[in-house]
Amino acid sequence: MDIPFGYVLALAGIVVVLGMVCAVARRNLIMILLGVEVMLNGAAIAFIGAALRWQQLEGQAFVLFIIAIAAAEVSLGLALIVHLYHHTGSLNPEDYKVLK
Amino acid sequence: MTAAGPIDTTLVAAILATGMPFAAFVGILLLTRGWPRLSAGLSMVAISVSLLSAGFLLVKHWSLARPIEYSALWVAGGDISIRFGFLIDPLSLLMLLVVAVICFLVQVYSLGYMAGDAGFSRYYAFMSLFAWAMTNLTLAHTLLQLYIFWELVGLASYLLIGFWYEKFSASEAGKKAFVMTRCGDVAFFLGLLLILLHLGNLNITELNGPAAGRLSPAVVTAGALLIFGGIIGKSAQFPLLTWLPDAMEGPTPVSALLHSATMVAAGVYLFARLFPFFSLSPTALGVCLAVGTLSMLIASTMAMVSRDIKQVWAYSTISQLGYMIMGLAAGNYVAGVFHLTTHAAFKALLFLCSGVFIHAFHGNDMYAIGRQGGRRLRVPMVCLVIAAAALSGIPPFSGFFSKELILGALADLPNPLWVAAGLLGAFLTTYYTFRLTFIILFPAKGGPETGYSEDTRHSHDSGYRVMVWPLMVLAGVTVFLGFGEGEIARFLTAPTGATAGPSHHAWLPYAALSLCAAALFLAWFEFGRRGAAQVGFVERIAPLHALFRNRWYIDRAYRWLLDHVVYRVFSRLCARNDQKVIDGAVDGLGRATAGAGGLLSILHTGMVQYRLIVVFVSVAFMALYFFV
Repeated sequence: MDIPFGYVLALAGIVVVLGMVCAVARRNLIMILLGVEVMLNGAAIAFIGAALRWQQLEGQAFVLFIIAIAAAEVSLGLALIVHLYHHTGSLNPEDYKVLK
Repeated sequence: MTAAGPIDTTLVAAILATGMPFAAFVGILLLTRGWPRLSAGLSMVAISVSLLSAGFLLVKHWSLARPIEYSALWVAGGDISIRFGFLIDPLSLLMLLVVAVICFLVQVYSLGYMAGDAGFSRYYAFMSLFAWAMTNLTLAHTLLQLYIFWELVGLASYLLIGFWYEKFSASEAGKKAFVMTRCGDVAFFLGLLLILLHLGNLNITELNGPAAGRLSPAVVTAGALLIFGGIIGKSAQFPLLTWLPDAMEGPTPVSALLHSATMVAAGVYLFARLFPFFSLSPTALGVCLAVGTLSMLIASTMAMVSRDIKQVWAYSTISQLGYMIMGLAAGNYVAGVFHLTTHAAFKALLFLCSGVFIHAFHGNDMYAIGRQGGRRLRVPMVCLVIAAAALSGIPPFSGFFSKELILGALADLPNPLWVAAGLLGAFLTTYYTFRLTFIILFPAKGGPETGYSEDTRHSHDSGYRVMVWPLMVLAGVTVFLGFGEGEIARFLTAPTGATAGPSHHAWLPYAALSLCAAALFLAWFEFGRRGAAQVGFVERIAPLHALFRNRWYIDRAYRWLLDHVVYRVFSRLCARNDQKVIDGAVDGLGRATAGAGGLLSILHTGMVQYRLIVVFVSVAFMALYFFV
């Protein structure tokens, strides 16, 4: 393997931080969901790198699970968002403060 | 103490007698509600088995030396134990047979009377419920068991009085009966608690035995008076007597069964049951005697002016129950119980006869029944006269013997006031009984005899035939039961060993009979004579008439008490308490919670992304803390 494990971890960290910033900074529910997805992918990169580093298959199996969960989560999340949009006509998270 | 032997026929018979009606009740409610005939059949089979078992028990134990008890432990806690079981002694056996016979006859009669009613199955279910509760009440081994079934009997009474619940007056009467008897039952229950605290158990035999002698006289008096409160409620004595006339809203067979022959007699039965206990307290006996006398006289005056045939018998029931209580309170156990037995037969007969008239003429007014030709119904008319004679105490009918016994017991008392009251009661009883009989038998001329022709008779014919034969059985009992006086007295007193019989008063039968004759003549003169105005002497005196008609204003007094004391004072206080204290507390709690939430919500921004930042930052700090 040419690429050292440290680089892989760095890439994973960058992707996670990007996702974090996206989830926190964008004022749009869909973009928040997208940010969460990006963070999941960052975690998946770290898993893959670790699986290669220690030559274990469990890491790759975990990634398959993460992808499946992410798909399910996206479909559910999007459905919720569509429903919310129908109700309020807004995708801005600042408008959702009923509980306050 | 379980009995020896592999199969104890007594126990089996007792279980059958008390258990079968319950099986019928459950069976009808769960399975056969939709099939009226099947329901009636089920109920009849159950009560027949009960009747046979009761008869078997009585025959088997005709020369019973000492009471038989079966019991199992039901509640045990600390030094209090309550057992559940059967107590079989002459009193309970006699009462069981009376109950079973009357239940059986009334159920047969109801086949005709209730035919075609929409609630036929329900009626038989309630009848079975009543039979179950009443048979268990008679055989109860402890006072608590008796109390439980006492209340169940009250429930059955409520259900049956309000049987035609679409009628407003019927459901009102049911409620009234329920609430008024409950007033007495509270006293009864307090009495039970008092005895339980001081004696440690509620066994009837123990209460009647030497153990009760250890209690202090004050406790005995208080306990006896409190239990007597229950008797006042159940047996409709003064001052809780006004529920019984209203209870006549129920179907007539129900009135015959519950409100004359058996259920109201349960109060007197309880008195007889605890007779040795009551005897320990002369004060309590004095109070009982006074209450019995007062109810007896008041009720018979009310009966003198009523036009409603069933109400007359209701008042007369109150007054006869008063007689029984007088007899018991005067110290003559046999007199009270024997009058209870004979009264059950002839009063049921009176009600069932009236039921035939009411069924045929669709009305309760005795003048209307007389005008429409009530005397043409031969069998009920003859039976009515027999039962009326028994009620008045005319020999050779059964009422004569039992009433003589009670009057004899009263004459034994040192104060001649009681026997004078008893004789006055006998006079009034004869007067109002024959007033009703003559009004039906010799209707005033003028009105055409309408309503009841041969055609309607045929349409009623099948029901009529079913209804008539219980009448004949009861009439036979009424005629012949009196001659069994000696035997029954021996049977009742055998286990206690007490010798019955008051001292002989030679003048008493003559006095009683001449008063009866005088009353009979007066009734004939005013109501039976050709061309009589059919207006009683009471009705000519307006204030007296008003007093009797309005039931001595007892109901009015209750109404006033309710309106002015209960509603104005207690209800208002309770309402204010409810609004200010309870509602205020609850509202305050809610408002405080909402306010606290409002205060805390300042801390929240309500924006999901800020929370997310907080989560990320704290996770980052935790990572720094743990890994760096």
